Amino acid sequence: MSRRLYVRRSLPFDLYEVKILEADNRDLLRISEEMGLALNLQEMRSVKEYFSKVGRNPTDVELQTIGQTWSEHCYHKTFKGTIETPEGKEVRSLLKTYIIKATKEINAPWCISVFEDNAGIVHFDGDYAIAAKVETHNHPSAIEPFGGAATGVGGVIRDVLGVWADPIACTDVLGFGPLDYDQKRLPPGVKHPKYIFRGVVAGIGHYGNNMGIPTVNGSIYFDESYTGNVVVYCGCVGILPVERYVKDAKPGDFIILAGGRTGRDGIHGVTFASLELTEESETVSRPAVQIANPIEEEKLKRAIITVRDMGLGTSITDLGGGGLSSAVGETAHKFGCGAYLELERVPLKYLGIAPWEIYISESQERMLLTVRERDLEKVLEVFRDEEVEATPIGRLTVDGRLRIKYQGYMVADLDVGFLFSPPQVRRAAEWVRPQLTEPRFPEPQDLTGDLLKILASPNVASKERVVRTYDHEVKGNTVLKPFCGKYDGPSDAAVLKPLDTSWRGLVISCGMNPRYGKIDPYWMAASAIDEAIRNNTAVGGRRISLLDNFVWGNPEKPDRLGSLLRACRACYKFAKGFGAPFISGKDSLYNESPLGPVTPTLLITAIGVIPDVRRTVSMDLKEPGSLLYLVGRTYPELGGSEYYKLRGLIGRSVPKVRVEEAAKTMKAVIRAIDSGYVKACHDLSEGGLGVAAAEMAFSGGLGLEINLSRVKVSSELSRSDYVLFSESNSRFLIEVPERFRDEFEALMEGSPFSLIGRVRAEDWFSIYGLDGSRVVDVSVRELRAAWKSTFGG
Amino acid sequence: MEYIARVEVSLKPGHSDPEGETTKNSLKELNYPVRDVRVSKVYLIRLEASSVEEAESLVDEMCRRLLANPVKDDYKFKVEEKP
Amino acid sequence: MKKEDVRVCILRVGGTNCDVETKRAFTELGVRAKVYHINQVLKQRVLQNSEALVIPGGFSYGDYVRAGAILAKGLLAKLGKDLERFIDEGKPVLGICNGFQVLVEAGLLPGFNGMGSHPEAALATNIPVGYRCRWVYLRHENRGNCVFTSKVSRGAVLKIPIAHAEGRFIFPRDKERRYLEKLYENDQLVFRYCDEDGEYAEGRYPINPNGSFHDIAGICSPTGTIFGLMPHPERAYYGWQLPDWTRMGSPPTYGDGRLIFESMVDYVVKSF
Repeated sequence: MSRRLYVRRSLPFDLYEVKILEADNRDLLRISEEMGLALNLQEMRSVKEYFSKVGRNPTDVELQTIGQTWSEHCYHKTFKGTIETPEGKEVRSLLKTYIIKATKEINAPWCISVFEDNAGIVHFDGDYAIAAKVETHNHPSAIEPFGGAATGVGGVIRDVLGVWADPIACTDVLGFGPLDYDQKRLPPGVKHPKYIFRGVVAGIGHYGNNMGIPTVNGSIYFDESYTGNVVVYCGCVGILPVERYVKDAKPGDFIILAGGRTGRDGIHGVTFASLELTEESETVSRPAVQIANPIEEEKLKRAIITVRDMGLGTSITDLGGGGLSSAVGETAHKFGCGAYLELERVPLKYLGIAPWEIYISESQERMLLTVRERDLEKVLEVFRDEEVEATPIGRLTVDGRLRIKYQGYMVADLDVGFLFSPPQVRRAAEWVRPQLTEPRFPEPQDLTGDLLKILASPNVASKERVVRTYDHEVKGNTVLKPFCGKYDGPSDAAVLKPLDTSWRGLVISCGMNPRYGKIDPYWMAASAIDEAIRNNTAVGGRRISLLDNFVWGNPEKPDRLGSLLRACRACYKFAKGFGAPFISGKDSLYNESPLGPVTPTLLITAIGVIPDVRRTVSMDLKEPGSLLYLVGRTYPELGGSEYYKLRGLIGRSVPKVRVEEAAKTMKAVIRAIDSGYVKACHDLSEGGLGVAAAEMAFSGGLGLEINLSRVKVSSELSRSDYVLFSESNSRFLIEVPERFRDEFEALMEGSPFSLIGRVRAEDWFSIYGLDGSRVVDVSVRELRAAWKSTFGG
Repeated sequence: MEYIARVEVSLKPGHSDPEGETTKNSLKELNYPVRDVRVSKVYLIRLEASSVEEAESLVDEMCRRLLANPVKDDYKFKVEEKP
Repeated sequence: MKKEDVRVCILRVGGTNCDVETKRAFTELGVRAKVYHINQVLKQRVLQNSEALVIPGGFSYGDYVRAGAILAKGLLAKLGKDLERFIDEGKPVLGICNGFQVLVEAGLLPGFNGMGSHPEAALATNIPVGYRCRWVYLRHENRGNCVFTSKVSRGAVLKIPIAHAEGRFIFPRDKERRYLEKLYENDQLVFRYCDEDGEYAEGRYPINPNGSFHDIAGICSPTGTIFGLMPHPERAYYGWQLPDWTRMGSPPTYGDGRLIFESMVDYVVKSF
């Protein structure tokens, strides 16, 4: 550190004045780097300008506060900034231009609070609403897989608590490098995918299980690029009485910090997430890793729900990235107040923590509440009863300033308005279509071997070994579980029955197709939306809301931003086309490692409802003699497919979404389910028709006979292998009892569908090709064994 | 007087140790010539007592009452005066 | 006594997390069930005013030291006398999953020598190691001593899920045979893991999901009024909770788990 830029004040504790007024551009960048602010020159200059006007130098507390508030993680500079598009146009705010715009135009009557609070809130049933949030915790999980993943779960649960909702379910979608990755190819600082995999899975289970929140939905995806950039999405869904969604903080209210004590853990977690991972990350960032204590959060949850039910709080938010600095700042900003804090009141884990560290620490299991003076004692009593520490640390004020005292000295005095108007970033985007060709290879005579191989491929194979380490039954409300049928088949979505007094169900599903993004991020985003919605539809879910979670590389590099722009455009078009509004989202950028950038990955989570859970449909075949229908049209779309991957290929014929037809098809499927004609329904995704049919058969323990010549295909599709393994979107396999044949077909009129096969009692799976010859001929038992062979059952 | 006790609770010989077994397999996968792994738990306890003997008897009681389950656990401890 | 007067105390501490659904199971049966924090139980002398005590599942005190151990010792230290009287009066005590671990750690199960002695069994780390959530089959072994299974016929097979990492029931190795004989003599054996057809698991995974000695899933005290089991009957209370109800067209009204709660309530109504 260069001494001349920092002057320690003569106080009984550590407080530095930073000589920003005398600093030139080089010094400014130096300050940003030495203090770990992760601010660029433009931002540092705007900080300098502010303090020039004020007429004094800032303290370390003030600069750290600004650094946290303006970080990518807290402020989403990229999504809110201006983008110069490859077409030479300007997009002001990706978020407003695409994501929020879709929601506004759909104007769904069930939306209660979208994109403005810690979680999106939609109406559920009667007086109850559902809150949902999905977060990423990639960087922490790369450094310390167990703790990183566990605190990811803890954090997203607090987001849901942060809108007064009682958490009722967790989801997790994980992305790892190949588990057989050659150790010798790993650069220093990058941990082996197997090590990360074990740690992350254990961390996810640890938190959810200990807190008693069922982990009901998710997936695990393998991609070469995740080796250096592990992907950890953690989601949480909660329920709350609508009238208890209180946002009524006023000047004079007490600010209460509740939960775990504050230590040095997690300091600079936020700015660290806004930088690329390097070889040094491990040593430099170790303190950024937080320690998880789910039991503390469980108690905290109980106390908060009690405070809510007693109607004692006026606002609530969680302490996540940026710790107190962002929770206090955002609360003051949101309610047009100022805040006055006495920082020495914050309960500490140990002595010797400087004021700036206290203010930005990311110690886990903490929440911030505001309460009226008259309710203060009652609220503190609730926390005492639950054996949770809760401390008034300050009050909201009228003056719009953030003033922080420590042991009687003023250590920060900032204008809240300034804090929340960082300079707009301006970035260039470009996108060059990758040079890909469609492969040519002779059509195999027999496809049995390929089907077995795809069933055993890591992205398709059963993840039961992992999923059973998560408690998906706790709370006793899980109606459709991760595994269904006679032999643990993969459910398309989870169904919960959250209210004892109602049969209405909550349907949770997801969609993600990073391989398609290697061809075109636009169609990847479209496919993820289609997949999430069709998974929901397959079990009977409708009235769908979406959550978007982007994991991308460094947005300062134009090609990364260009692909992000394409994905956002698709988000607008297809959410609108399906009439499914986005209600919450989050972006994790700067996912780059010595091995390169992450494959751009968009996770779409869909939250739907089913009017009566007793109408839920599972994917396992149920009755010998039933008819099997393929609903939706099959195109020669094998780009990015598992079938091509088997041959080491990518191709370019990425699956598209014909949204008008798709939306109509899904409505028809729901009508058929509601009419009781559907015995089983399964969506077609990785591995296409072949995999979906096999999964339905072995989950139900029944045989199947399929004739590919009956499949409704686009005219240019003339190979049996392509029909069997095409990954065209918006398709379902549906089992219908013979007796409902006419009714079902009448109902589906107007959507592409065809009768392609029949359920058999015998343990045999046969598929006839376009020319009538048998292309797949195998026992159902063998299919199941292949599916379970990779990770075990 | 303040004493420091180091208590080690381990599985009785003959009892299977699935954590140790799993750890052994992981280490073998990493190509270490590992024959066996047993997992035990160590508690570092600071306590007040008037003599070493009293401290030892208190720690022994703690082990019997809470820290070890006699059905499967053995325990041993060392008590030292706090330097 | 009348059903609607029966008071069930559901005990919780930090880390308990199956209290809500356990309470729901009793409420549905028309008794007065309430969840109490252990501090409230102490302050309000709840045990004196309850006819049944339930220790539900979860991770009491984070399962530090050993699963259930801290709550077990706390229970004896804080509520020892009241609990002893409660048990002496023949009031039923049910421990589910973590609650079973607590009862074993407290020496209340198998309880060969009455209350308050050292543990005579342990619920050790699963083999294969790890937390596991899955549905299992249980064969009812009791000959009539256990008041929690009076509505279950002997030899009946129940389907109920487990979710735990430490559920391997073991005895001291040198006393295994003797203790097992005692279980049979005293009619303390209640549930053993079995397959769908009622064939004992004989240690085979995953039919026996945790490596339990003699496939033991649940046992009761010699008096039959204290009962602990690893599976979660409250998660198999309604038909729609079953993992395969979608194969039946529409869900049955109830699952097998309900029988345990019904038997317990029935016993209280008849005895007090």
